[in-house]
Amino acid sequence: MTIRTLDGATFAEMVLSGANHLTNNANMIDALNVFPVPDGDTGTNMNLSMTSGANEVRNVQADHVGEVAKSLAKGLLMGARGNSGVILSQLFRGFSKAIEDKETITTVDFAEAMNQGVKTAYKAVMKPVEGTILTVAKDSAEAAYKIAEQEEDIVVFMEEMINHAKSSLKRTPELLPVLKEVGVVDSGGQGLVTIYEGFLANLKGEELPATNEAGPTMNDMVNAEHHKLAQDYMSTDEIEFGYCTEFMVKFEQEKLSQHPYDEEAFRQDLSKLGDSLLVVSDEELIKVHVHAETPGDALTLGQRYGSLVNMKIENMREQHTSIVGEQKKEQPVKKEKADFAIVTVAMGSGIKEMFESLGATVVIEGGQTMNPSTQDITNAIEEAHAKKVIVLPNNKNIVMAAEQAAELADDHVVVVPTKTVPQGMSALLAFHPEQSIEDNQEGMKEAANSVKTGQLTYAVRDTQIDGMTIEKGNFMGILESSISSTHQDKLEAAKQLLRDMIDEEEDEILTILQGEDATSEEVEALESFLEENFEDLEVEVYKGNQPIYSFIFSVE
Amino acid sequence: MSIDLNTNFGHVTITNEVIATVAGGAAVECYGIVGMASKNQIKDGLTEILRKENFARGVIVRQEEEETHIDMYIIVSYGTKISEVASNVQSQVKYTLNKTVGLSVDSVNIYVQGVRVSND
Repeated sequence: MTIRTLDGATFAEMVLSGANHLTNNANMIDALNVFPVPDGDTGTNMNLSMTSGANEVRNVQADHVGEVAKSLAKGLLMGARGNSGVILSQLFRGFSKAIEDKETITTVDFAEAMNQGVKTAYKAVMKPVEGTILTVAKDSAEAAYKIAEQEEDIVVFMEEMINHAKSSLKRTPELLPVLKEVGVVDSGGQGLVTIYEGFLANLKGEELPATNEAGPTMNDMVNAEHHKLAQDYMSTDEIEFGYCTEFMVKFEQEKLSQHPYDEEAFRQDLSKLGDSLLVVSDEELIKVHVHAETPGDALTLGQRYGSLVNMKIENMREQHTSIVGEQKKEQPVKKEKADFAIVTVAMGSGIKEMFESLGATVVIEGGQTMNPSTQDITNAIEEAHAKKVIVLPNNKNIVMAAEQAAELADDHVVVVPTKTVPQGMSALLAFHPEQSIEDNQEGMKEAANSVKTGQLTYAVRDTQIDGMTIEKGNFMGILESSISSTHQDKLEAAKQLLRDMIDEEEDEILTILQGEDATSEEVEALESFLEENFEDLEVEVYKGNQPIYSFIFSVE
Repeated sequence: MSIDLNTNFGHVTITNEVIATVAGGAAVECYGIVGMASKNQIKDGLTEILRKENFARGVIVRQEEEETHIDMYIIVSYGTKISEVASNVQSQVKYTLNKTVGLSVDSVNIYVQGVRVSND
């Protein structure tokens, strides 16, 4: 039998069959969904859109094909969900426009209508992405033109058109790299082909199988492809709502009299618990899918309206961890950010240890002739992993780099510009975690300025500085930043420096940091010198193991 | 203002203009949107469709405390379901920013500034 014209009643039947076939395959289409956002809802969205269209068609009972197409377009528009749903509504809006005055249509009309649909659909997008439902619709419509020229039989026309649609669908991975990467065809395109197949099956009077025999099952797809891709963009920590919760509620009149059911309100309530929310209801049942952190609350909400049936709750973090675990090695555990951290610079293992024992979070080894870069400081700030970070550079050559690093790191990092190790230590001792970062900055700066620093080192070449002539190999005492003494003998230079530094009236404590090249005999000699000359002074000696500086003195 | 990211190898600063351009680019790839519109319709001409280099005029990136909010001014195609197009734009922008910039957006607010009626 050859069908040359299509009337409204037949077209309506076709639409219902197409919608039905789409419903049966929605899960499979969901699983294909990797574009534009891999959230696996294309099938669901298209199905909801198409069902809305089909419901309108069911309600019109017209025999006028233009009227039927119009009601389909209206239903699709009202029920459009998701990108694919909106595109579908546009395709059939153009389609119905083209045949709105026609009582019956021929293959030529059908092809023309399809092309109008494509035109309308393309008009509504600024930048059409090829390899999507748009491409499949366009290719099928173009093919339809050519087929209609020679073919009057609508069934044959449909068959051939669908073949073109399918080969266009197969080409989608070539056009859209993300599809190729995952090895799937476009989900929206698949949805459109599914609808066309439903059309054809009805024309031929065939029953379509519930699921496409060629297509993999939903679970296969979900496990194999979709989730694998999704997890590339997501770490287990980022799963905000941990439980995939699905349940159905069977209405109970008794409960409904207390709690009248309002789908929108119910959806609102559920949306507070999580995301990926789907609520579908009819007279007897509500079906709910939600990713929630507290699935029990979702169930309780549902129970207000009736009894629970078919519950399924899965822990997505567990699932995700196991998937990720197969691919990658264990991800570093993200620890909670500390409130405060202190980053400081030290030269010498002893000074490093000392800073650490005083409470510094990260100590960068460096200083004088091996200054850490801005990069090193930035890394250390990151390593410190805190909401607020205070940086103590302990060297005037590092202050700039530290300030640069602080600027890069935004406003949670401040620098207390300590110029020497003793300043850094005093500052560190003045730190109070319970105070604000500004107060600390202030207090630490003050503490740093209250300490006097003397450093003993040797000249690497002959020079004239601060009005003194220094020969290579001579020892120099540096008070704060200017050279105060110089002597051939290390101990003599140190003694001179100490004399310059210490004010007997005010100073109470002297701290000696013993450098790499300072012997314990030298330290003992200094101690007895101090006892003789400054008897009230308390002296503490630490092994700083710093290079270059034989001694660092701190007086306060 | 800008977004700062610290990596093991250094520091990455992404200005709001970049975020606006990425967000705008993601939005115009969305179905049903015919363009980005300027926030200041009077000043910049009535619902003039912005070119790619001007997306920042139709995309406002706001950082409030720890949160990032994006306001987008768009023109949609007549005959589409506007609420749905808007929500598609929201999810696409959020997804794209997260994927390309690593930025997690707290809200994407859509202002539909115009409807393009095409003569069909």
